[in-house]
Amino acid sequence: MLASVHIVCFATSYAVALVLEISRLVFRSGVRGAVMLGFAGTGWILHTAFLYYRASSLLSSSQDWYLLAAWVLVLVYLYLTWFHPQQHFGVFLLPLVLGLVATARWFTDPQPLAREPISKVWGGVHAVSILLATVSVLVGFAAGVMYLSQVRRLKGRRTLLAPLRLPSLEWLERASGRAIVVSLLMTGVGVLSGVMLNVINYRRHDPVLPWNDPFVLATLGMFAWLLGATVLAACYRPARRGRKVAYLTLASFVFLAIALGMGLFMRTQHGRPRTAAGAAGAAPLDGQNLPPAAGGRGSPGGGP
Amino acid sequence: MNVRVIGCSHRGTPIALRERLAFGRGETAEALDHWRRVFRNVEAVLLSTCNRVEVYAAGPAEIPAAEQVAGFLARFHKLVAAELLPHLYVHDGPTAVRHLFTVAASLDSMVLGEPQILAQVKQAYQAATERDATGPLLHAAFQAAIRVARRVATETAIHQRRVSVPSVAVADFARGVFERFDDKQTLVIGAGEMAEETLRYLRDEGARRVTVVNRHLERAVALAAAWQGAARPWEELLEALAAADLVIGTTAAGKPVVTLEDFRRVEASRQQRPLVILDLAVPRDFEPAVGGRPDVYLYSVDDLQAACRRNQAERDKELPAARAIIDQETGRFMADLYRRATGPVIQQLKDGWQKPKEQEIERLLARLPGLDERARNEIRLSFDRLLGKLLHPPLESLRDESRNGIPHGLLDALSRLFRLKD
Repeated sequence: MLASVHIVCFATSYAVALVLEISRLVFRSGVRGAVMLGFAGTGWILHTAFLYYRASSLLSSSQDWYLLAAWVLVLVYLYLTWFHPQQHFGVFLLPLVLGLVATARWFTDPQPLAREPISKVWGGVHAVSILLATVSVLVGFAAGVMYLSQVRRLKGRRTLLAPLRLPSLEWLERASGRAIVVSLLMTGVGVLSGVMLNVINYRRHDPVLPWNDPFVLATLGMFAWLLGATVLAACYRPARRGRKVAYLTLASFVFLAIALGMGLFMRTQHGRPRTAAGAAGAAPLDGQNLPPAAGGRGSPGGGP
Repeated sequence: MNVRVIGCSHRGTPIALRERLAFGRGETAEALDHWRRVFRNVEAVLLSTCNRVEVYAAGPAEIPAAEQVAGFLARFHKLVAAELLPHLYVHDGPTAVRHLFTVAASLDSMVLGEPQILAQVKQAYQAATERDATGPLLHAAFQAAIRVARRVATETAIHQRRVSVPSVAVADFARGVFERFDDKQTLVIGAGEMAEETLRYLRDEGARRVTVVNRHLERAVALAAAWQGAARPWEELLEALAAADLVIGTTAAGKPVVTLEDFRRVEASRQQRPLVILDLAVPRDFEPAVGGRPDVYLYSVDDLQAACRRNQAERDKELPAARAIIDQETGRFMADLYRRATGPVIQQLKDGWQKPKEQEIERLLARLPGLDERARNEIRLSFDRLLGKLLHPPLESLRDESRNGIPHGLLDALSRLFRLKD
């Protein structure tokens, strides 16, 4: 039965959990917390089953990649809601989850898009690191938005008027800061492993991914941004504080959105079989077949 | 079986009289000893808080009337009983139990939902138990009251919102900014009473590093010593402000002691660390414009009081749900109590039939020596079933009758019919 799970099944569970989260802002209920966690947990189990039955080809398509990112994000949500039941994390995290699932459903192709990576190890490292970088940017973004909301509430002396319950600024600042560092590390690993894949291709005289590929440029832009922001924060104390960290997370999210958008809607060769012409004059840079790439409307050979 | 409460509270009794009636800890023990001498076989718990003085009395037979309890209280405090009597309320039976549950759940407190009353009820019960003044009735009543209070706290949000200015300042505002307080520097400007109360809440939250700045250094030193903090002279106010994470303003100054200009001077050295300012002074110690600076969260007494009022309104909304729990639990407790009252008669009835049953079985088995063990057991079971069926109607009637009170008439009839002893 679990083999026949469809994306709509777990997406609906997450949507119901989100509606229940939002209803917490309107009225009190003794059983809602358990029901909400029940829906999110059931959705996550169905989600796991969906991914499990695709395990043989997991991460071979951009749809898998988006769904796996959503799966990790739901895990983060479940963890936070279990240990901090009073806080309304779901209001900020579940829309991101649904966004990833919706993107997977409507803007990606479930078919494997590229040939097997030349190195399974580097291919795996590349895919997982970019995936974790994406999740940490999303978590950081949620923490940053929560921080700014909390600032607004506290400045407006509305801590008690508004039913929205958020963690303290100190907690959110720490979470945002850590999310930036993790996303920098993961993006760095993703870029390096991509370079390694390209080097291997280059040595074998296989087509390589051009350095000026839009997805590669956007990813490098995000990496440069995260690196710059982290160096600045390390050297200049106030940059590690409060609103600045929150704004850094928002900017990181914009870079991520651009990178993902490039992968979905621009002509990119990232994650697609490459022709020799496409590789002409290209410097060895990014990896082969994996993350968000291709399948999008604008990509060669990709369909909606 | 009777339960009665006689007492006075903030509802209708002036504080001057409540003060005169109040019992200190030592006095409570003395009064309970005295009670046991005067009213033998009457259980008692003495609840004395700043808002109420109540005597809970219970016993299997007659318990003292309001006049007797007023006389007892008056003699103990050397007052005139006639003066007291008009201020005392008396509740009996289910009303007394409901009152106890209502008090323990903090629904009758001056500040609805304040948490201290439950601890005070527990202390009163413990003190009475230590003096051997409690018995089965008040044990059951107070243990149920504690359980009911916990149920109200768990199932409603009546205790969740804080309603005093210092507690709201710390729990609802400062906690919104800081996750922990043990690594935060608290600066107290002035040495007002409000500062001490706020420090008490902060200490509960883990605050350890306290600096006091006051125009009179000796008062700063005294307050700092009480909280294991440091005192600094008034001239170092801005330096202390630069180092602070949390500021409590409580001076009696006629104009702001920290202006926007003053704050701007120390702002750079703060390196954008968040600063929570609880300005509890009237007139205010901080110019309101300071609150407009980034990373500064400034709250005046008006802000905090508005939050307290909103919290109080939120608590009030929970009142119907809390009252429903109290009603349900009162009904359950009274039903238990009435059932317990019928217990001895039921036991005597059962025991009274048991002996003839055993005798008849023995006689029958003696006359039928050839029976095997299985047949003997069948006979025993048959007699047991017969006895159960015979006893079922009177026991059911007792159970039905005891739903609304102790069925004295039925108990009396059964006792006489079956010649049961008292």
